[in-house]
Amino acid sequence: MSRRFKHLPGQVGLCLGVALLVLWSVGPVYWSFVTSITPPNALVSDNLHFWPQTTTWEHYAKLFGATSTSQGNEVASVWPQFSRAFANSLITSLAATALVVIIAAFGAWAFVRLEFPGRNVLFVLVVATLAIPAYTVMIPLYRLMISMGLIDTYTGVTLIYVSAFLPLALWLMRSVYQAMPLSLEEAAWLDGASKLRAFVQIVLPLAGPGLVACGILTFLSAWGQFMVPLVFSPTLATKPLTVLIPEFVTRNYVDYGLMNAAGIIAILPPMLLVLFLNRYLVSGLMAGAGK
Amino acid sequence: MTLRIRPPRLGRLRLGRDARLGLALALPVALIMGGLVFLPLLSTLFDSLFRVEPMKPGSPFVGVRNYTNLLKDSTVNAAWITTAIYVALAVFIETVGGLAAALLLNRIKIGRRWLLAIVVLPWCLPPVVNAIIWMWIYNPSYGLLNGLLLSAGIIDTPQVWFNNRETGLLLVSVVHAWRMMPLTVIILLAALQSIPAELYEAARLDGATGWQRLRKITLPLIAPGLAIALSQSTVFAVNLFDEAWILNGASLDTRSVIIQVYVLAFQNMKFSSGMALSVLTMVISLAVSMIYVLRVYRETRFE
Repeated sequence: MSRRFKHLPGQVGLCLGVALLVLWSVGPVYWSFVTSITPPNALVSDNLHFWPQTTTWEHYAKLFGATSTSQGNEVASVWPQFSRAFANSLITSLAATALVVIIAAFGAWAFVRLEFPGRNVLFVLVVATLAIPAYTVMIPLYRLMISMGLIDTYTGVTLIYVSAFLPLALWLMRSVYQAMPLSLEEAAWLDGASKLRAFVQIVLPLAGPGLVACGILTFLSAWGQFMVPLVFSPTLATKPLTVLIPEFVTRNYVDYGLMNAAGIIAILPPMLLVLFLNRYLVSGLMAGAGK
Repeated sequence: MTLRIRPPRLGRLRLGRDARLGLALALPVALIMGGLVFLPLLSTLFDSLFRVEPMKPGSPFVGVRNYTNLLKDSTVNAAWITTAIYVALAVFIETVGGLAAALLLNRIKIGRRWLLAIVVLPWCLPPVVNAIIWMWIYNPSYGLLNGLLLSAGIIDTPQVWFNNRETGLLLVSVVHAWRMMPLTVIILLAALQSIPAELYEAARLDGATGWQRLRKITLPLIAPGLAIALSQSTVFAVNLFDEAWILNGASLDTRSVIIQVYVLAFQNMKFSSGMALSVLTMVISLAVSMIYVLRVYRETRFE
């Protein structure tokens, strides 16, 4: 009994700390969600409500509807733009994720297990680019993309994402392969399998969690990109959500309900990833950052 | 950074199967990184010595004049100061908050995985959406921040936060720190978990207080992790763009160096000035992250 009482202040402090941490991390997102289901006239009232007195889906209806009204006037629906931008975000992020995971899966293994000329130089150079901010190469890239006709194309944007997120994936996968005992592969070699075959059949399946972590990190980074598409995706042909949503502001009237609803939709994919795959995400971050 | 790839001595060296396979698998890496990072990087360095402006004919060699002009430009200098303030504020918030959160998480045994998922959430969301969420919180008329402070009696009238430069800088830094703190938490938590529990047990037997244990055991042992966390948060804060851009646009009050690069290059169409400024920022970023890069390099070399 006395032991329990001695720890009581500590326990209370711990709970308080946890509550504060959760509030800090989720509070703003919760507030955005509440805003997105609050009727417009309640948004501009003086009283704060931590849960709206009446809830509405009209902001979402405005995003998804064929027509919409703003302050009583019928305005053009944002759905065509919104759906297009959502698709653009999804296409470029998924394409970049797939490419990064495949290239890193094979490339990192080559860096760990195969001797070839230029191996160490290339690896050090690639990892060193982790410390180089992406915008440093932005202006020459812009001119390069213009000369190759890749501005505002899925190919152009995806390639830039791949070049930006490949180094971290290589670094992560290298540590995954290094942690695996060589004996696994050696046994297959003795049975006559080629190195590549031993890798694909034995090592690759075991590297699954690492590959998932790489995929999540790449997808999240690509999904959240803003400055790259701001320059390289000027029109709706490839413009992602991150560039479209802030444009809702620049109209003469800022529709905060609409913006928060759009924001909530844009954070759904990352939320789902965190919800279902957080184990891989955290282990990936730890391996990537802690080394 | 210099590119020095020694050509293979072809006469003596017949590549074996392994080497050919290795080259084939590394080729996509070399092509993508070479074409989209290394060459543009060299081109940035090179072109920053010329006048490259789409609106003006020709691109004469100007030496370091792009750089000296930047040093004389009062807008650019103001942007450097703004960025320095962002770095100081963001790194402080992230490190103090991140250390507190990591120490807390390290003591939690039940449900740590879920708590960690909640903590990591802000880092996973698109920075633009974060900034929009906070922009609404900071709204002068109907924002949560004004509402909370008014009802707590801390202020009597709603504040237009971005009318005041100091407040604006602080609020942008808070949004940035909100997003980046999870990285610091993860790095420090990994460092904390590598400390053997016996050390604390021994210290407790010797009668050390909690504060002493933190000072004498925890902090020295997580120093390498702390160095990485500090250099990461510094580099990210030097490169702050999204939050300041969304919250306050190109406003001079909150204009970071990267916003200045963007304005120079893509609004004023002065490519070479933009490149020179991005080279300067990169040099500073690189210098700061040297700790990190050196560790990586050392690890790859001694193999």
